[in-house]
Amino acid sequence: MRYLLTGGGTGGHVYPALAIADEIRRAEPDAQFLYVGLGNKLESKVVPGRGFRFRAVNSTGFPRSSGILAYLRFGVVLAWGVIRALWILLQYRPRVIVGTGGYVSAPIMFAYAILSRIGLSRAVVFSYEPNVHPGLLNQAVGGFAHRIGVAFEPAAREFDMKKVAVVGYPVRRELENLDREGARQRLGVEGDTKVVLVFGGSGGARAINEGILDALPHLAHRSDIRVWHITGRYAAGDYNAVRDNAAHLQRLDCDTSFYRAEEYMNDIQEGYAAADVVVCRGGAGTLTEICACSLPAIIVPLPSAAEDHQASNARQLESQGAVCVHYQEAMWQGSTVRSAIDGRRLAEQILGLLDDPARRRAMATAAGKVPLKDSLAVIREQIAGLVEGWRPQPLNLEFPPQPQNLPAKPNALLRHVVNRLEQVGGPQGLDERERAYLQYQTDRLLASEAWYEIPLGYRNVGLKLVGHLQYGARLPLLLEILRERRPVSLHKRLLGGDFVHGGILRRNTVEIGIALMAIANDEVKAVLLGVLEQDPYFEVRAAAAQVLGRLFSADDMVEAALVKALDDPGCRVVIRALEALGLVARDPEVRSTLQRFYLHPNWQFRQEVVVALRRLLERGVLGGDQVAVDVDHILAISPYFEPEFPLKNNLRRLAEVAAADSAVDKATAGRGEAR
Amino acid sequence: MIYYLANYLQQSVSVPELSFLRLVEFLSFRAIAGAITALLLTILFGGRIILHLYRSGQRDITRRYANFPASTNQAKTYGGGLIVAAVVVSVLLWCKLNVAFVAICLGAVCWFAALGAVDDYLKVRHGSSDHGLSEAAKLLLQFVFAVVFALVYVTEDLSSVPAELATQLYLPFLKAPVVDLSWGYIPFIIFTVIAIANSVNIADGIDGLAVVPVAFSVAVYGVFAYVASHVQISSFLIFPFMDGAGEVAVICSIVFGACLGFLWFNSYPANVIMGDTGSMALGGLLGTVAVLVKQEFLFLIVGGVFVGEAFSVLVQQKIGIKWLGRRFFYSAPVHHHYQMRGLADTKIVIRFWIVAGILALFGLATLKIR
Repeated sequence: MRYLLTGGGTGGHVYPALAIADEIRRAEPDAQFLYVGLGNKLESKVVPGRGFRFRAVNSTGFPRSSGILAYLRFGVVLAWGVIRALWILLQYRPRVIVGTGGYVSAPIMFAYAILSRIGLSRAVVFSYEPNVHPGLLNQAVGGFAHRIGVAFEPAAREFDMKKVAVVGYPVRRELENLDREGARQRLGVEGDTKVVLVFGGSGGARAINEGILDALPHLAHRSDIRVWHITGRYAAGDYNAVRDNAAHLQRLDCDTSFYRAEEYMNDIQEGYAAADVVVCRGGAGTLTEICACSLPAIIVPLPSAAEDHQASNARQLESQGAVCVHYQEAMWQGSTVRSAIDGRRLAEQILGLLDDPARRRAMATAAGKVPLKDSLAVIREQIAGLVEGWRPQPLNLEFPPQPQNLPAKPNALLRHVVNRLEQVGGPQGLDERERAYLQYQTDRLLASEAWYEIPLGYRNVGLKLVGHLQYGARLPLLLEILRERRPVSLHKRLLGGDFVHGGILRRNTVEIGIALMAIANDEVKAVLLGVLEQDPYFEVRAAAAQVLGRLFSADDMVEAALVKALDDPGCRVVIRALEALGLVARDPEVRSTLQRFYLHPNWQFRQEVVVALRRLLERGVLGGDQVAVDVDHILAISPYFEPEFPLKNNLRRLAEVAAADSAVDKATAGRGEAR
Repeated sequence: MIYYLANYLQQSVSVPELSFLRLVEFLSFRAIAGAITALLLTILFGGRIILHLYRSGQRDITRRYANFPASTNQAKTYGGGLIVAAVVVSVLLWCKLNVAFVAICLGAVCWFAALGAVDDYLKVRHGSSDHGLSEAAKLLLQFVFAVVFALVYVTEDLSSVPAELATQLYLPFLKAPVVDLSWGYIPFIIFTVIAIANSVNIADGIDGLAVVPVAFSVAVYGVFAYVASHVQISSFLIFPFMDGAGEVAVICSIVFGACLGFLWFNSYPANVIMGDTGSMALGGLLGTVAVLVKQEFLFLIVGGVFVGEAFSVLVQQKIGIKWLGRRFFYSAPVHHHYQMRGLADTKIVIRFWIVAGILALFGLATLKIR
C-alpha cells in the first residue's frame, strides 16, 4: 500500500510523522512511503536519513500580521505549493495520506480536497494534531480529513466528534529499551560520573543555550559531572546558535573540559539513555518522551509559547512530582528587558538534583507512572480501520471543559491575580509554588516587547503585577526602566513621544510598581528624585511626587525637591507635590512657600494647599495661630461643586443598613442551625 | 400627511373657509409647524416614556474613568428613541413624502437609530458600557448605509440632486465649485457621513452637551437648505438651486424642535440621556444633510464642537496612548479633560453651548461671505 506523509516545520510535527511511518513499516514491510515537506526545513534534513523518499513543495505560515502584502504573498506561495502537490498526488496516487499539521501539510491537504471532489483521488486522510491547541491549518483540514487523531483531549473539542480519536503522543519505539551502559560507554563516561543532558527542542532554544553556559562556572568545581549540550542549528536575527555558543564558551574563564556541545543529534535516545538529569523545554513531545524514559528533568517552559501551554504542561507534571520547573526570568540586558535564565540558579537546581539520589529516584518513578497510551498502536489501528472502511464510536466528551489555566489575556490575568491576592490576604498568603508561577507570569509579561495592545497590555501589566505581588527581586529592573533614556525615533518625538519606555509605562512603574512594593531605600529615592526633576512627561513627575510623599516621610532632600517641583509647568505635578509636602515637610518655612498659592486661579491648587496646611497643623509643624490667620487669606471661590442629591444619599444609607442587617440575620441563623 | 390632506380638502371641497389650508404650500409654515409638533410631542409624551423606560430597566451604565461625583453618576435611562420617534412622526405629518430628500433623511435616521439601539440594548443587557457593539461592527454598519447613500446620490436616476451638480465639491467662502470629483465623490461621502455620525456620538458625554450643538447645527443647515430650494434667494446668494431641498429645511426644523424638547428632560441634572440611539441618529442625519445640501466642509465650522471632540479622541487614543504610550489630555473626549481640570459639569456644558452658538453664527455668515 502507498502511504503519503506530510507535515513539518519543527520536530513536534516531523517526529510524530516518522514514528507513525516506522510503526507502519514494522507491521507492513512492503509498504511504500513518500514524505512531502519543505525543502529548507527540518524534514528535508531528517527524513532522507531515516530511509524515506522525500519531495518538496512550497508553503508558508498564515500571516498573523494584517498587511495586505503578507496575505498576498501567502496566497501566491500556497497556490504554487498546491499546484506542485497536485502533481505529486497524481503521480504517486497514495492510498493513505497522513498529515501531522503545521502549515507544511497545507498544499497536500488542499490538493487532496480538490482531487477528491472531482473523483481523481480515493485516498483516505488521517490528520494528527500533536498540540493542545490545534493549529490554524489543522482546524481547516478537519473538515475533509476522514479521521483526526489528537494527542490531548482538549484539542478534540475543536473538531467534529464523529471523526476525532484521542490517540496520545507517539513515542518512538527506540525509546522503549534504552541501553544505559552502552550509551555511557559510547559517550566515554565511566563510573558514577553524572550526565546532564541539555537541549532546547528541535529548533534549539536561545535562553537555554545561554543559561547553561552561564551555569557552567558554578558547576566547574565538581569533577563528577558531564554536561552534554545540544545547541540546535537555530539562527534568527542577531543570534546564531552554533556560532554564538562557541564565542560565549571562549569568554568563560573556567575549566570547560566537562562540557560538550553538539549542533544536532539524530538519535536523542542515546542522550536519554546516558543522562541522569535532563534540562529541556516543556513541549508536549519532549515531556512525553521524558515520561516514557522515566527521567528526572528540569523543565524550562518557553514563555512565548501559544497561550503559555508549556508552563501549564510542566506544572501539570510538577504537581505529580515528575519534574522540576525552572522559570525564565525578566532581566535588564543592554537597555531592554529580556527573558533569560539565571545561570547560578539553574546550576543550584541541577546540583540539588544530582546530589539527592532519593529525590531523583522518586521523580523517575513518578514520571514512569504518568499514564501513556501505546499511541502508535492506536494510530496504526485507526489508519487500518480507515482503509477497511470501519467506523469507530464517536468520541464522547463533556462540555464545557473546566478552565484550569490562568486567563491568557494580560488584563484578565491582572484581575485574576488581584482577586486571588485579596482571597489569601496579600502575597504572603500564597504558597511557594503558586508564588513562583505568578512571578513567572509577571516576568513573561515584563519581557514582552508589546507594551500596549488594546485590549491586551503586556509589559504594562507585568509592571503592575510586580507591585501587586510585591516582587522585590524586580525592583532593580523597574528602576532601570525609569533610568533608561533611549529616545524613540525622530518622527515619534516630533509628535510628542519621548523614550522607548513610553510615558504611561513609566507612570505605572512609579504609581503602581514602586508604590505598592513600598521599598523605601536610597536607590529608589535617588531614582524618584531624578524622575521628579527631569522626566519630560507630566504624569510620571506627578506620580513621582505622590510616591515620594508616601514613602519618604520627614526627609530634607525630598522636601527640597518637592518645593522645587512647585514651579513645575504641569498642574498635576504641582497638585501632587503640594499633597506630598503636607506629609513630608518639617520646616515651618514651608508656610511662606504655600502662601504663593493662596490666590491661585486654579481652585485645585488652593484645595491641596488647604489640605496640606491641615496636615502640617496636625503634625505639629505649623502652629494653630499662624494657620488661623492664613484661613482668611485663601480665596474660596471655586468653579467646581459636588451637588447634593438627598434622595440618592438616603437611598445609599438605606442600602447600607439593609446589607448590615441581612448579614447579622444570616450570622444568627447560621449559629441557630449549628446549635 | 397633513400636506396631502390639506391639498385634497382644498381641491375636492371648495369651501372658502378652508382657504387657510393653502398655508401648507409655504415651506416656512411647514417648518415652524413641524418644529412645534416635534417639541410638543417630546414634552407631552416624554415624561411617561421616560418612566416606562426606567421601569423596563433601560438604564445607563457609566464607565468609571474617575470619580466624578456630579450627576453623571446617577442612574439615567436611554431615551434616544424619544427624539427619533418625535422626528419620524413629525416628518410623516409635515413633509412631502414623494421627494427623494425625505426618503433619504428618514432612511438615515432609522438606520442609525436602529444601530444605536442595538448598541444600547447590548450595553444594558451586559450591564457594562464596554460590551456594546464592537467598534468594527459599528463602523461596518455605518459603512453599509454610507455606501448605499453614496451610490444613490451619484446615480442620475435615483439621486435627489441634479446630475451635473451631484459630484461637484463646494467649499465655504467660495462661490464656484472647486472640483468635480466624479466617482471619487463616493468615498468622500462615505467618509463624511461616518465621521460626522461618530463625532456626535463621541460628544454625547455630559447632560445636554450634545443636544444643543446639534440643534444649532441643524438650524444652520436648515437655512442653507432653504436657500438652495428657493429660486430667487439661491440666485441672489449664488447657490446652486436644488428642487425639493426645501423638505430638508423642514426636516432640519423638526429636528431642532425635537432637540429642544429633549433638552427639556436632558438638562442638568438629567433624568434621561439620548444614548447611542439618539446620538447616532442625530449624527447620521447631520452627516446625510451635510452631503445633501452640498455643504460638507461647512460642518468643520458649524459642528466645530463635534470636530474638536472627535479630534481629541483621535489624538489621545490613536496617536498618544496606542502609538507613543503617553497622554495629551487628562482624559478624552475633551469634555472629560475639563472635568479632570476641575470645571463643574454645568460650566463645561454651557461653555460648549456658547462656543457652538458662535460657530453656528460664523457658519451662517458664510452665506454671504463668499
